[in-house]
This record gives sequence, structure tokens and C-alpha cells, in this order.
Amino acid sequence: MVSSPVGLVVVSHSRPLAAAAVALAREMAPAGLLIEVAAGIDGPDGPAFGTDAVAIAAAIAAADRGSGVVVLMDLGSAVLSAELALDLLEDPDQRDRVLLCPAPLVEGLVVAAVAAAGGVGRAEVAAEATGALAAKVSQLAVEPDGVEPGGVEAPPVPPPRHPGGGAGAEPGADLEAGAASDAAAAGQRRAGERRAQERAAAVFVVTNPHGLHARPAARLVALVRRLSAATHCELRLRNRSTGSQWVPAGSMARVAVVGAEAGHEVEIEATGDGARAAVDAVLELAGRHFDEPVEAPAPTPAPPAPAPVDAPPRVLPGAPGIGVGPARGLGPPPVTVPDDPPDDPGTERARLDRALADVAVAITASRDAAARDLGPTEAAIFDAHLLLLEDPELAGRTRTAVDAGASAARAWADAVEGGATALEALPDPYLAARGADVRAVGEQVLRALLAAPGGQEGGLPEPGGGGDGGERVVLVAADLTPAQAAGLDPARVAGVVLAGGSPTAHAALLLRARGVPAVMGAGPGVLDVPDGTALALDGTTGELVVDPSPERLTALRERAAAGARRERAAGERAGEPARTRDDVHVLVGVNVGSRADAEAAAGADLVGLVRTEFLFLDRDRAPDVDEQVAAYRGVAEALDGRRITLRTLDVGGDKPLPYLPLPREANPFLGVRGIRLAGPHPALLREQLLAAVRVAHETPVSLMFPMVAALEELLAARRELDAVIAAEGRGAPAGLQVGIMVEVPAAALKAAAFVPHVDFLSIGTNDLTQYALAAERGNPAVAALADPLDPGVLRLVDAVCRAAEGRALVAVCGEAAGEEVAARLLVGLGVRELSVVPPLVAATKQVVRELDAGAAALAAAGALTADSAAAVRAAAADRPRSSGKPRC
Amino acid sequence: MSAVPTEGAVDVAALRRWIDAFAGDVAEHQEELTRLDSAIGDADHGSNLARGMKAVLAALDSERPATAGALLKRTGMTLVSTVGGASGPLYGTFFLRMGTAAGEVESLDTAALGAALRAGVGGIVARGKSELGDKTMYDALAPAVDAYDAAGDEVGAALRAASDAADRGRDATIPLQARKGRASYLGERSVGHQDPGATSAALLLGAAARTLG
Ligand SMILES: Nc1ncnc2c1ncn2[C@@H]1O[C@H](COP(=O)(O)OP(=O)(O)OP(=O)(O)O)[C@@H](O)[C@H]1O
Ligand SMILES: [Mg+2]
Repeated sequence: MVSSPVGLVVVSHSRPLAAAAVALAREMAPAGLLIEVAAGIDGPDGPAFGTDAVAIAAAIAAADRGSGVVVLMDLGSAVLSAELALDLLEDPDQRDRVLLCPAPLVEGLVVAAVAAAGGVGRAEVAAEATGALAAKVSQLAVEPDGVEPGGVEAPPVPPPRHPGGGAGAEPGADLEAGAASDAAAAGQRRAGERRAQERAAAVFVVTNPHGLHARPAARLVALVRRLSAATHCELRLRNRSTGSQWVPAGSMARVAVVGAEAGHEVEIEATGDGARAAVDAVLELAGRHFDEPVEAPAPTPAPPAPAPVDAPPRVLPGAPGIGVGPARGLGPPPVTVPDDPPDDPGTERARLDRALADVAVAITASRDAAARDLGPTEAAIFDAHLLLLEDPELAGRTRTAVDAGASAARAWADAVEGGATALEALPDPYLAARGADVRAVGEQVLRALLAAPGGQEGGLPEPGGGGDGGERVVLVAADLTPAQAAGLDPARVAGVVLAGGSPTAHAALLLRARGVPAVMGAGPGVLDVPDGTALALDGTTGELVVDPSPERLTALRERAAAGARRERAAGERAGEPARTRDDVHVLVGVNVGSRADAEAAAGADLVGLVRTEFLFLDRDRAPDVDEQVAAYRGVAEALDGRRITLRTLDVGGDKPLPYLPLPREANPFLGVRGIRLAGPHPALLREQLLAAVRVAHETPVSLMFPMVAALEELLAARRELDAVIAAEGRGAPAGLQVGIMVEVPAAALKAAAFVPHVDFLSIGTNDLTQYALAAERGNPAVAALADPLDPGVLRLVDAVCRAAEGRALVAVCGEAAGEEVAARLLVGLGVRELSVVPPLVAATKQVVRELDAGAAALAAAGALTADSAAAVRAAAADRPRSSGKPRC
Repeated sequence: MSAVPTEGAVDVAALRRWIDAFAGDVAEHQEELTRLDSAIGDADHGSNLARGMKAVLAALDSERPATAGALLKRTGMTLVSTVGGASGPLYGTFFLRMGTAAGEVESLDTAALGAALRAGVGGIVARGKSELGDKTMYDALAPAVDAYDAAGDEVGAALRAASDAADRGRDATIPLQARKGRASYLGERSVGHQDPGATSAALLLGAAARTLG
């Protein structure tokens, strides 16, 4: 798919300035690149200084050939007029294709022109341009002995003012004027700070057929900037084959100048903390031909690039934390039923009943833990497993066979096999996938029947039994069933490595809840790792190291210790508001399904989601208004009267309530659920609204409607709310706010239509992801698709944020809000409230505090144009989480 | 809202008189505005606004809008493309939002005019991200709409209260340090000067009190 390059628009007070800047940029970029100018105004006596929003809108329209536009501006009204121009665009869709870039005009334009000509997307063009200032800052500080940390990413940093040096028109002049004195001062400072400078260097051969042209150079520069922003190391490179000058590797324009062609040797050098790892990362990228497809790799004349010893296979973060220990394959192999002669039917029946009862107890415990830690939705899988225990197809058949003389184990195994096979043969893929549940429960019962180990822990050997002397092991498995995951004991398992699996599958959720670090998607090769091999994993960043070097181990252990410190710090500051380093306030809320949840939510700024279902399940009639009032009030009290966000009843045909007859539907998740219940059951909604309004007279309440797909649904609900308020006769409660859940992709894309009618939009990333990718995360066959970091999902979030910008608060109350990598991107996209499960409140606040919202916005912009969730996660992993601390 | 002018209502002709009066005041105070802007800006606020308002009068003469919304929006659109400085998108957004809030009606009663003014000021905040005390036109406009709302049902009294509040808000910008716009580049050196935008905003409300009341 070849798309036209991104268009550029230059907005300046001065027409001659804009024209000259364009000429300068054109030198670097081929003709055919669209650069439109909107500069100056027409005064009565000819052109004058100023900006004109109408002219900017016209320039944007002219520059957009479908790939969108990046707008570069000078100062003051140029920015205001450009923002206003977005409102004036005739084609409302176009607005979403325009990025107003905070880069300095001249540097930004030159780099943007190179990047756009290189064919990258608009977000990357804007990110590159913004980085131009960082490159300049780094350049002015880098010579002669590698001083200030350079490559500052994102938020435009004012260039250092040099004492005595005026605003030199030329970078060179500036450098000469100020570098000497600055360098001396900086050198002194640094001597105290860092004694031994770590230094590393390596050579790679350019294998890209067209050399390091714009696109691969952009990849290289982006990586270098990420490394520099995250660490205190400085990278520079030169072309050995041509004997070029050293140039800062974080500068697009400078890297382009070394003229590295195919076959050239390029030397890369890093100085500062983590230099070695930085060089290794660059070599790895070079080894991937800078992510460019290369048909015939050029023969390598130079010694092959030394592969980093600990080259980590790319794995997905599953559950945060660091785990180190000997590998332990998940055993034993599937239980086989021995051919022992059966006891008498009475004994066998009793054996079966005991096994079923034991497993029921175990599953109930898992369910309760999951409900407590994750909410009823996640716990539902265990309800399904409990039902299977009593399923006539399984237990009934087994009993019949036992009475006919079979052993309980044999009869149960046959029944499970028959049941699972029958399900798997069904054409409905949803039902077919339930076969896996039957097998999982089947195996659990079989282990109990045979008294095989691992009834709960999925075959994890007893501590000490395997000669590990009780050391905590790293469990290696193809995948885990929910029961296995829920049953893992953190005292015995240091971490989990899954060959398959997905960060959104139930197993990952449960591991997170158990506090067991895990990585997933490591590939089948990992199953061949012999037991006892040392393994180290970081489930936060998604790293796995087989047989790590002692240095690497030390580094990981330090990281783990730092993580523990961080957790403590987070706990101490849980009650304080969370502000990013650049002072953006992000609310951190808590999701609750009961008053007990709310009581566990230390430090939350508000309840971002009350799953009111908790009141409605497991009973014969709906709770009346008074009971609802009492329950909601209880939640508010548990949070000391902070705001509570009540979501109206969100159930559907998959879980009908006895008093809420719902027709059977082939696809309950696409059927009557959420706000759609208001049609057939108006009284249910009315009573809930009445209860909410009454509570809202006492304490701040936000009300939100789930599963909204059409504006009319919201408007109807609001009319109902108005009617309820009018009937109460006390006026609208002062603190009452109204919003919708954004879970339906169409609603996300239409967010602008909802914004005038709401105070906030809360994105339910779990359902939004499932609907956007048409993949149910409870279905292991497709769970890997249902990744909330899929760029398609992020674009939906972006659409919501852009539509709501400045007009309504955007919240996320899905699982993603509590996942560190996702939370950073969400804030970058403009989300200003993250609502998470109770145990994650403190940590999420800390994630916000360590974030730079400006940098996050750039990273998020890059993520929008990534081609896969894996690429998004890989980019995030290249940028360690606390970018404030030096680390490579 | 009815199309029949009601007692004390502000009709399209009155709004036109307001715009004319503001244009006249800006022309009269052009030098003063520019002088203020030369102290803490780029010495163009007076000429920017004078140019813009002249273009507005020409546009309204040729188009003769029939409703309050149309007149105000035409004014806003013209300012957006002729003022050139920050006050262009800011006053432009003010009139555009005011026009949208007013709607396609022939007259506005006290409440409707108040709502429209408030919507316009909201537009300035949305566009300029200014807060009270940033030393901008918002410092004159915010107290003005509050005073208008507090003054009661009589449009003349409400506008006089608004105008007085705007004058006080303008004067109160003198000791402030600018945090928005060009003046913010001066840092502490912006203290002790009256903000040009707040000065023109006070003229805008003064003109309203004279013509709409
Ligand atoms: N972000 C802002 N929010 C509100 N008012 C602002 C803002 N920026 C500037 N102003 C107002 O605009 C006035 C200056 O208007 P003027 O037309 O002179 O713009 P300018 O500063 O010259 O614009 P430019 O940045 O294009 O040079 C200031 O006195 C201030 O009241
Ligand atoms: Mg000015």
C-alpha cells in the first residue's frame, strides 16, 4: 500500500520568514513534497505581520492528500490561529488527520520535510520534528567531552542561553560563543557526579540496499532518542568507510549527512551509564536492517556485528515484577488413567463425589479471590467451571458408568473427552472454545480422583521435591488454565514464562492478582529449556533472559529492589494527588463491585466505576430504591465521601437475572445489554436513576450509561434522568455529573456527537478491545488478538480524546488503566482519569508521577501509527518505565 | 425565544450599534492600545484591532445579517482573518461562540444576552487556555460576565455593572505578571503595565453599556 507523503503547513507571522524556511527545508527533501504556507496578513498597506486562521485552514486542506498534515508554527497567535483553523476545516474528518507540532519552526520544518519525504506517518513526522530541538540541545552541550545528557525527547526544551553569547543566527556561532565556558563549568560539575564514564563502541555494516536513507535513519534516530531520554548515555556515530566526522546519533539531519551507503561501516559509540546496553540495542536494530525489508542482504565483509550475549527473545509482559530462579517445566504430563480394577460402585461413587466437592471448594476459592481482586466479570469464568462440575453431561454420565461398574476415574475421563469433543465440533466458535473449559475442569477433577499432585497448582512439584532445595522456581508452560494461574503460590513460584498466552487472557489477569511476575508469548522454543536452567524475567517490561550473566542478574536484582522501593514509595504517597512531572493532574480512581472493594481502595481520588450489578445478582427480585440508596451511600462512605461513579446495570442475555426475563440470544454480547435494557425494562432504569439522584443530593455522584452505541440512547436516558429529577422536586443535585461508557467502537468514533451532552466519557477498554478486534479474550484461541494496545484500539481512544479535548473528561476504567505501559500511553493520548482495581491504585499514581505528559504524548502519537500491538509494546520496552532515572 | 422584540430586548439593530460603537472606540483609542502593547508586547494591538474592526464594518455593510447569530458570527469570522495578532483568534472565537449561543433570533432578552456573553468568554478561555490573573483580556471579561449575571433582569443595569467590572478588571492587571501571550516573555518586567487586551475588552463592554442598555 503506497500512500502519498504527509503534507506540511508552515504558519508564521512573516511571509518572507516562511518562504525562506521552506526553501531551506526543500534542499533536504525531494520535490513533490507538499509544503503549504499560511503566513502574514494582507493589511491596507500591503503584507503585514500576523496570522490568519482562515488562510491556515485553506493551507491545511490544500496540503492533505489523504495521509494528513503536520502543521509547524512560530509563536503566539500562530498557535492560537492554527488551533482555531482546525475548527474551521470544512471536512470534519480532516481534523483527525492534522497534527499541530510543537517543534521550533526552522529546525522542525527541515526535519519534518526529511521524515515526510521518507514516507513515515504524520505522528512520526511530528515526533521527529519535535525531536529536532532535542538534537540541537544535545549538540550544543555534547562537545568536547560529552557533557550534558542529550537527546532530550519531546517537550520542547528552550535551548540553553550562553552567557555573553547573543542569539547567534547560526548554530555554529552559538556553539563557539558559549561552549567553552559551559563545558568548563559542566565538566567540573560532572567530575563530582560521575567518576568513571562507561564507554562502549561497535561497528556495524549497513545492509540496507539504499544505505541509511531517511526511513532507516529515522528508525535509528528514534531509538537513540529513546535510549538517551531514558538513560544518561550519549550516542554518536561516524561513517568509517568515508572517514566522516562524528555526529550525534540522535539528530536526524546529522545522521543523514554521514552518507552511509550499503556496505559502509558505521561506528557507533556511547558514553555514560548503560553505554554497553545502548550500543547493543543499536546493533540489534542494525541487525534487523532498521526494520526495512531487505531482499538480498549484502555480504558482510566486516566481522559480524557482535550479538549481545544476553540477547533477549521478544516476549510480552504478562504480570508485573521481576522473577529469577531455576526453570521448571509445568508437570506432570497430562494425567493418564491407570488400568487398576475398579472398587465397588459405592466406593467409586463416593470417590467421585469427594473429588467433585474438593474441586468445587478449590474453584470457589479461586472465584472469590478473582472476584475480590478483579471484579465479577473476571470471576465469571470460575462460575462457568463450577457449573460444569454439576453438568449432567459430565457428572451424570460418569455416575451412570460407575453404577455400571467402571472406575470413577475412567468414567469421568471418558465423559470429559466426550463432552469436550462434542463442544469442539460445534460450528459456533464461541461454544467450540468452551471445550477448553471442559478439559480444564476435567483434568482438575481427574487429578483429585487419582490424588495426583497439582489438583490446584496445575502440577507444580512440591517444594524441595525436585532437588531445588525449596528455591523458588520459574514455571515454564505452554499456557495456564485460569485455575492453575489462580492456584500458584508466590512463595514457591518466582515467575511464570508462557510459550503462548496473551496479556489479556484470564491467566494473565489472575497472575497479576496473585502478584506472580510473568511473561507470555515466548514461543515454543522456551519449552525446550532444560529444568534447572537459570531464568530471569521482567514481567513489567516483557523481558526474558535465559542463563543470564552475573552482571545481568545483578542488574535485574537491582531493578527488582528499585521496584520494591518504588512500591513502598507509592504506598506512602497513595493519598496524594497524582501529577505528572510536567504537572498534568491525572485522577486515579478505583473500580469496585462492593462496599468491601471500596474499603480496600486506599488513596483513590474517586470511585471511577461502581459495578452496580453486585446488588442485582444472586437474588430473586430487583433491589428496591431504598436498598440501592443504602448500598451506593455505603460505597461513598467507604471513600470518605469522594465522588462515586455509578454505572447503571450492565447485564445481558449471557447472564439473565430471574426477575429480568431476557430472550435467549445467539450473541448475547451483541444483544440486549447495558443501556439497551432500558427499552424492554424502563422501570429498572428509572428506579436506579432515582436511587442515584437521591444519593447525589448527599454526596458527589457521577452517573454513567454502559454500552451506548447511538446518541439517541443517551438522550433518552438523559430525558429519563430529567424526569426523575423533576419528579423528586428538589432540583438537579449540585454534584451530579453524567457520562457514558465508551465500549462500542462506533461510539468512540462518534464521540464528538456525545460530548455536548456529557460531563465525561469513560472508556471501557476491555469491551472496546473485544468489539474492535472481534475477539473475546476469554477464548484462548483468539485472546492474543484482544490486546488493548492494538493500534486500532488506541486510535479509538485517540478519537475519543480528541473529540472531548477541553470539553469533557476522558477516563479509562478498563484493565488497561492499571497496566503500566498502557497507562502511560493512555495519558499520552489525553486520558485524565485512570480507574483501576483496588490493589493498583497506589502504583498507578506512581506511574503517573514518573511520567512526562509531553513525552508520553509523543510516544502515544508514535503508537498510533505502529502496525501491531507487539510493535507498541516493543517501543515501550525500549523506553524503560521511569525515564527520569538513568538506566540502559 | 420569540421573533417579536420584547421590552428591554436587544435586537439586531442594537447589536449593530454596539459593533459600530466598539469600532469607533478602538479607532479613538488605537494609539493608547498600541502604546500599552509597546510596553509589554509588539506594539500592534491598536492597529491590529483597528484593522479588524474596519473590516468588520465593511463586511456587515455588505452582508446586513438578519439575525443576532448571523451578525455576531460574521463579526467573528472577519476578525479571525484580519486582526493578525493573538487578539484575532481570541475576539474572533468570542464572537463566533456568542453568535452560536445567541442563535438565529432577531432579539435577545437579558438572560439570552448574558448566556451569549458567557459563551463568548468561555470561547476565549478554551482558545487561549488563560486563567484569572494571567494578565490578559480574560481578567476584564470574567468579572464582567459575573457582574452581568448578578445585576438582575434589566439589561441596561446589567451591562453597566458589567462595564464597571471590566474597568476594574482592566486596572487590576497592572500589578500582575503576564503568564500568557507575548507579554509573558518579559517575565517580571511585565509587572506595572496595564494589559492592552484587557483594555480593549473594557472598551468592548463600555460600548455595550452605551448602546444596548
Ligand atoms: N492566551 C491568551 N489568552 C487570553 N488572552 C491573550 C492570550 N494571549 C494574548 N492575549 C491577549 O491578547 C493581547 C495582545 O493582543 P495582540 O493583538 O497584540 O496580539 P499579539 O500578542 O501581538 O499576538 P502575536 O502573538 O501574534 O504577536 C494581550 O494583551 C492579551 O490580553
Ligand atoms: Mg501585540
